[in-house]
Amino acid sequence: MPHDIDRRGDEAHQMKRRRWLQALGVAGAAGLAGCSGGGDQETTAETTEDDPMGGSETTEGDGELPSVSGTYNSLASATYETLNPIYNDTYGAGVAIEYTLDPNYSFRPGTEQLPLTMELSSDDNEVWVASLRENMEFSDPYGEVTAETFTYQIQEVQQTEWANTPDSTNWYRNDEPLNVEQTGTYEFQIELPSPDPLYLETYDPSLYPIPIDLMKPYVDEEDAKGFQEDEDLLELTFTGNLGAFSLDEWNRGSGITFSRNDDYYLQEADDLPEAFSNAPYFEGIEISVVGEEASRLAALETGEADTAAVPPNRVSEFQDLESTYVSVQPQSYNEVCTYNMRDNGWSAGPGNLFREKKFRQGLASAINKERLVKGVYRGYADVEYTWQPPWSKWFPGEDELMTFGTGDLYGPKETRSRIESAIENVEYDYSYDGDRLVTPEGDQVSLSLYHVAGQNTEKNFAQYIAQELDKNAGINVELNAIDATKFANDYWQQQVPDNPDQYEWSNGRNNAGPREVTSKNAWDMSVVYGLNAYPLNPLTADVFFLKDSVYNPYGYYPSWNAKELFQEAKNAESEEALKEALAEIFVKISEDQPMGMLAFPSDTIGYNSSLQGPIENYFSGWDFPTWHFEE
Amino acid sequence: MGLEWYITRRVAWAVIVTFIIVTLTWALLTAAPNPQVSQAATQAALQGGDPAEARERARELRGLDAPLHERYIDYVTGVYTLEWGWSESRNQPVTEALLESLYYTAQYSVPWTILTILLGPLVGIYSAANQYSWKDHVATGFAFFGYAIPNFFFGIILLLVFGVYLDVVPIVYNTDVAVFSLENAIQLVLPVFVLVTGSIGGTMRVSRNESAEYINADFVKTATAKGVSPLRIYARHILRPTMVPLSTTIVAQLLYLFVGSSLLVEVVFGIPGLGQTTFQAVIAQDTSLVLGSTLFFTFIATVGNLLQDVVYTVLDPRISFDER
Amino acid sequence: MATDKSNPNFDQVDWDDIASNSGRELSTNAIGTLISTGVLVAILLYDYFIVPANSATFEAVGWGYDVIPLDYMFAFTLILFGFYAVLPLYQNPRMTRYYWKEFRKNRPAVVSLIWLIAIFLLGVLGPLFISPTESELFRKYQPPIWMTIDQNYVIECVGTLAGGACAGTWQHPLGTTQGGKDILTMIIYGMQISMKVGFISTLIAVVIGTAFGTVSAYAGGMVDEVLMRYVDIQQSIPTLILYLLIIYIFGGGLWLLILLLGIFSWEGMARYVRSKALSVTEEEYMKATKISGASSYRIIRHHVIPNSASSIITDITLLIPAFLLAEAQLSFLGLGDSSVPSWGQLISAGRSDLSFAPWIVLAPGLVLFLTILAFNFLGDALLDALNPEAETESE
Repeated sequence: MPHDIDRRGDEAHQMKRRRWLQALGVAGAAGLAGCSGGGDQETTAETTEDDPMGGSETTEGDGELPSVSGTYNSLASATYETLNPIYNDTYGAGVAIEYTLDPNYSFRPGTEQLPLTMELSSDDNEVWVASLRENMEFSDPYGEVTAETFTYQIQEVQQTEWANTPDSTNWYRNDEPLNVEQTGTYEFQIELPSPDPLYLETYDPSLYPIPIDLMKPYVDEEDAKGFQEDEDLLELTFTGNLGAFSLDEWNRGSGITFSRNDDYYLQEADDLPEAFSNAPYFEGIEISVVGEEASRLAALETGEADTAAVPPNRVSEFQDLESTYVSVQPQSYNEVCTYNMRDNGWSAGPGNLFREKKFRQGLASAINKERLVKGVYRGYADVEYTWQPPWSKWFPGEDELMTFGTGDLYGPKETRSRIESAIENVEYDYSYDGDRLVTPEGDQVSLSLYHVAGQNTEKNFAQYIAQELDKNAGINVELNAIDATKFANDYWQQQVPDNPDQYEWSNGRNNAGPREVTSKNAWDMSVVYGLNAYPLNPLTADVFFLKDSVYNPYGYYPSWNAKELFQEAKNAESEEALKEALAEIFVKISEDQPMGMLAFPSDTIGYNSSLQGPIENYFSGWDFPTWHFEE
Repeated sequence: MGLEWYITRRVAWAVIVTFIIVTLTWALLTAAPNPQVSQAATQAALQGGDPAEARERARELRGLDAPLHERYIDYVTGVYTLEWGWSESRNQPVTEALLESLYYTAQYSVPWTILTILLGPLVGIYSAANQYSWKDHVATGFAFFGYAIPNFFFGIILLLVFGVYLDVVPIVYNTDVAVFSLENAIQLVLPVFVLVTGSIGGTMRVSRNESAEYINADFVKTATAKGVSPLRIYARHILRPTMVPLSTTIVAQLLYLFVGSSLLVEVVFGIPGLGQTTFQAVIAQDTSLVLGSTLFFTFIATVGNLLQDVVYTVLDPRISFDER
Repeated sequence: MATDKSNPNFDQVDWDDIASNSGRELSTNAIGTLISTGVLVAILLYDYFIVPANSATFEAVGWGYDVIPLDYMFAFTLILFGFYAVLPLYQNPRMTRYYWKEFRKNRPAVVSLIWLIAIFLLGVLGPLFISPTESELFRKYQPPIWMTIDQNYVIECVGTLAGGACAGTWQHPLGTTQGGKDILTMIIYGMQISMKVGFISTLIAVVIGTAFGTVSAYAGGMVDEVLMRYVDIQQSIPTLILYLLIIYIFGGGLWLLILLLGIFSWEGMARYVRSKALSVTEEEYMKATKISGASSYRIIRHHVIPNSASSIITDITLLIPAFLLAEAQLSFLGLGDSSVPSWGQLISAGRSDLSFAPWIVLAPGLVLFLTILAFNFLGDALLDALNPEAETESE
């Protein structure tokens, strides 16, 4: 259970569903431990190996609808903290909530909007009109869902201080609340201060319908605590026909059971595939909490569970089993090795070589990414050269990029020549003594590398980096296993200075100022967090690469004109122009190596052979209500 | 003055002990950083808000902004009025969380405790009566096996063999089955077996060693000479003195396993009992729940020790409670 | 065999011998302990003040072994163990022969002793000469020599690949882990960790526990009350929760773990020793001794401790395996020190691969099991040997 201190698994994933900015994931959680929910949510169309985000000609089938049968048994690695739709901010619980309560929209393959409770559209990308479906009902006594349901929630809950909801900031722009207006019984609009063609992709307007009468008492009292602890919200008793299933029982320690919702509102939708007309096709869903990975896999093998995340080492085993298959679904959390370029980084000696572009390039040349992908992820990962997975439509193409860590750009010679030229740039007398990089005092350069405790894949990953750096760069790496929360508090985040105004910038604990502002404890390198390269809206990546952004724990100062280029991209008028601008950014990133960008592991999720529905696509799960068992 | 007074004093003392330990735990938890607060701050920072403000709001929401002594007094009053607070990690009242978990823990603890108390001393005395015979060796071997094999290790191997290879027991613990049903019995066989083999060893061993001392004692020989039936001899002359040190062992063993191995067994077999709940609470740093379960376990341990002392005093007439 | 005076008794030998010397001169044991400890301290000072921070302690003599702080503590424990447990046996050959004769009767115990000595020697000496195993990702999941594994799981097969299965080789006699580390080497390193955990924690527990128990039983009155009330409190602390909390908050270093185990495990011993001692003080001859005006120190030293020795020894043989178990359990929960190659860490890391690479869990698991078992057999035999009344037949 050790690792299954992964509430982390959820964190790693929350981004897909929610705001891009919650971009922080604990590395490794994604691939191996992030089995919470086991991918019950993701879905897709036919296997599109060359285009994992792409759409597919939906196989409309022969018009015969599947029959309703069986219970879908899924597994979670950790218990749920809350099912309160307003306050939940974890991926795992989000999946459970969405069995009973649809959000307003989602995406289908091809990054097309999938309207659920409403369709959002805009002529000018500035005023977004939401048109609701007209057959949505809460359970008694809460009545019908209308536009007011949403505008009330936005204005009285999300855009207030007291409620302290996780999504609150989605409803502000430049610290001003967005103007939201009801324009009809089933229509309202959101006015942005400036056009944003990728507004939907940010997931900012994401909302669940909550009855006004349920919220009102808390709104009147400004009672956040009562709101969080409200039994109807926690037990999802108000969901009416708003989800494919209704919650029967939530046993805090062991899981949740759901039963089929016979009059799911999407059955009447005419803009969705035919299969929705009698959806869902399971009589019920059962989520069981099973902490042990071995037990989850055993349950999948014996048929007690219909889905579980399969670690890379066992994918071929489960592919070979008659009763199961494994779906390889790309995802956008990368495995990065971050370098501490702040003043308390580089504990090896004087100066901080991490600040030298050439040095970082040298480190990147020292790690064989192809072997890493094969050795740690058994091939179920993509090599990462820049801040975008190769299957993303924004990916500029390998020819344009500096492909460090593969082919000609890998090896001791490549590494050392770059490190040596970096050393020429600094005032301190580092040098190579035989195979070892030594400090001016003559000791071997020795650096710390932190990784999450208790996860095998992570540990292997860290060990591999240590060995490669030792072999090719002559640097000794000391591995430190650490708890992720502890790492965040004492290492990753800086101590906010008493006089933030004195500094050029101070943007909170993840970038509390320039490099002289440091965390409590010194660290050199970390693979604790994987970060989200969010292919739906890569403009958001600026947060990782601007020196005064809100997220720069590693103290990176770009040696390229990052600010201008991102601004340029934001102002792009057409997708073509945007693509070009982003390509330039990604090329610069691959050259500047802000951090060791190593791999994009895929989710490898095992399913019961008779289950129809999952696709090998980034959007797998978009049509979950139509999933079914084949007789 | 006598047994009642002694017990009254011990009970009063038990209350004090519980209080002290809970205070210690409270202090320890208060000193620890609260991850939910820093999470709020991280999130605010990521979203471009003011993390300091978010932190403050989160603290306020969790009542962490009050001065220490106020929070402490609040807490202590809560303890005695049975308002143990709200579990942040499960979003339900702490008492409810504990009761729910206890329900599952009891299902395997009760059979386990009964089996241990019955089988342990019996096998031990049997062993002592047949000292150095093959029977002794087999019994000792079994006891040692159970004692020596790490519970969790034994558990995962049994689960692999019986759950995966033979597929006769379920791997996922099902909370929906009735308590007194065959299904429940089947899913509890392995955990109870693992726990009994674990706890029986120590008990058996102590009872063997202790009773071995008495088997050759003069009073036993006298009794045998007087023609007292062997059963009576074992029950009165050997079991009773053996129970003195044994009571210590049994209580200690059960307590140790209850708070220790039961957690691991729960983890291995996926039983959502007290151990798991506590462990998850610690990981989530769910202060109220950790305190609640600490309180509960402390209570169990205190009562256990109390029983142990009383039994000890009652059983060994040489020690008188008046003098203490 | 005569039973009364002439019946040899471990307690008398051991403790009287020390006691008789305890007047003016120091016993050989004490001198030995002092000298060895002196040497140890000298090395420690040398390590701290003379050897540069990043170099191994014995680099000057060309030996790459770097002594870590825990090693010093371990060495000190070994010194005490040597001079107060092993040396007395040598000093009293007659007694030793007698015990050996008694002990030999118990075959499993003899086998256990051999096993433990082997573990001890390998654990203490092995890591000094065998270099730690490196992670080799492409050599993950190699099977032990007598086993094979489906080639799906391995990337490179070190041994022979036949019929879709990879066979084990002598290069990795017990196979490799998920990270491609050699299991045999890890187990040998784990032996030292286990010895450290077992010995150091036990030393801490024995010192505190015996002191509490004997003093409390003998002193009686207020002292007894206060000490035992304290034991009560500590005994009522749900230790596991406490461990979880402390380790989760402060991180699970091996040092912290050993300290915690030692400090929070002596209550049982204190109570046990006290109850034994209480029974002893109830005996007539003790009353006589008291009346005759013997000093407290003398009574504790000459009567209480010797008479409790068998309880202490029984308890030690229970404590050491309990510590080993505790370490493994905490590792299993992911709260151990994952930077040390302990058996528990190995079991914990291998358990997700149990169904197809069972050796990763079974090898260390069995070694752990056998070691705990051996301690139990040993303790049992010691008890029998030290407690001759239990089996003297004739009067």
